[in-house]
Amino acid sequence: MKLIIGGVFQGKKAFAQQLTGIAPGAAADGLTCGYEEIFQVPMIYHFHEYVKRRIKDGLPYRQLAEELLAKNPGVVIVTNELGYGVVPMEAFDREYRESTGRICCELAAASEEVWRVCCGIGTCIKAQEGNTHACDGRTAK
Amino acid sequence: MLALITGGSGSGKSAYAESLCVKLQEEIKEVPMLYIATMYPFDEEAYRKIERHRELRKNKNFNAIECFTNLEQITLDRKTTVLLECMSNLTANEMYQEGGAGADTVEAVCRGLDRLCSQAANVVVVSNEIFSDGIEYDPETVRYQQYLGCINQYIAKKADLAAEIVYGIPLIHKGEALI
Repeated sequence: MKLIIGGVFQGKKAFAQQLTGIAPGAAADGLTCGYEEIFQVPMIYHFHEYVKRRIKDGLPYRQLAEELLAKNPGVVIVTNELGYGVVPMEAFDREYRESTGRICCELAAASEEVWRVCCGIGTCIKAQEGNTHACDGRTAK
Repeated sequence: MLALITGGSGSGKSAYAESLCVKLQEEIKEVPMLYIATMYPFDEEAYRKIERHRELRKNKNFNAIECFTNLEQITLDRKTTVLLECMSNLTANEMYQEGGAGADTVEAVCRGLDRLCSQAANVVVVSNEIFSDGIEYDPETVRYQQYLGCINQYIAKKADLAAEIVYGIPLIHKGEALI
């Protein structure tokens, strides 16, 4: 599993393609994909939107990391990094950003690589020992 | 040592700060650590958060006290490791609670922190990144961001270790050699 995070409009998807060779066309879009789709695809982007939809539609979401790990352990997850603002006024927004954070903590712990993308440039913030390509120069190959 | 542990919402900063405390306390294990809780339990959601944190630090040998304002009043009865959680609540309390420091919040909090550091073996402060979501807040909220930003900078400058936690991964901004 690989996790790619960053702010909005930072080029995360393009970076993900450059890193993994997976074209966005082969990936699931968290905004629109079917709920089961993410367990079958090699990559999902807009993962935060997927979490948001599950919460909105009243589907279970707290076990999502565990479920992904069990069913699709090799998946590449591209997601916005949330939670760097003042606590939102709306209870839903608070639940959404905190839960997405908790899920991403679990995904990060399970990922062999975690990348943070800023201005299109990825910085490897986690790699397994011996993985020299990932952290060499702290940018993508 | 003084450590600043910051991060966004749901970033795993509390869990990291607690583990750091446990590590720092290793030499003086038999002494309980002190957890300074700053969140005022004003509603059900706050209670749930507090409960979650209690659960997290269970079995980690912390005594807990509450401090909603006036950090400077705290006197330790022995040199131990102190976890202050979190600076964003303490700052808001000082600004808005009755009897809080109001316009003198930054000075009051920094003074309180200095006094805590002079008494403790280690101080680990959890703070919060509330500065970069691009939303334009009302002037009062901007003042809150400003105060917390100033306090975070003060702590980081004084700290031996400053880490930003990103989904459980520590990005060390200062003091890498200590980890």
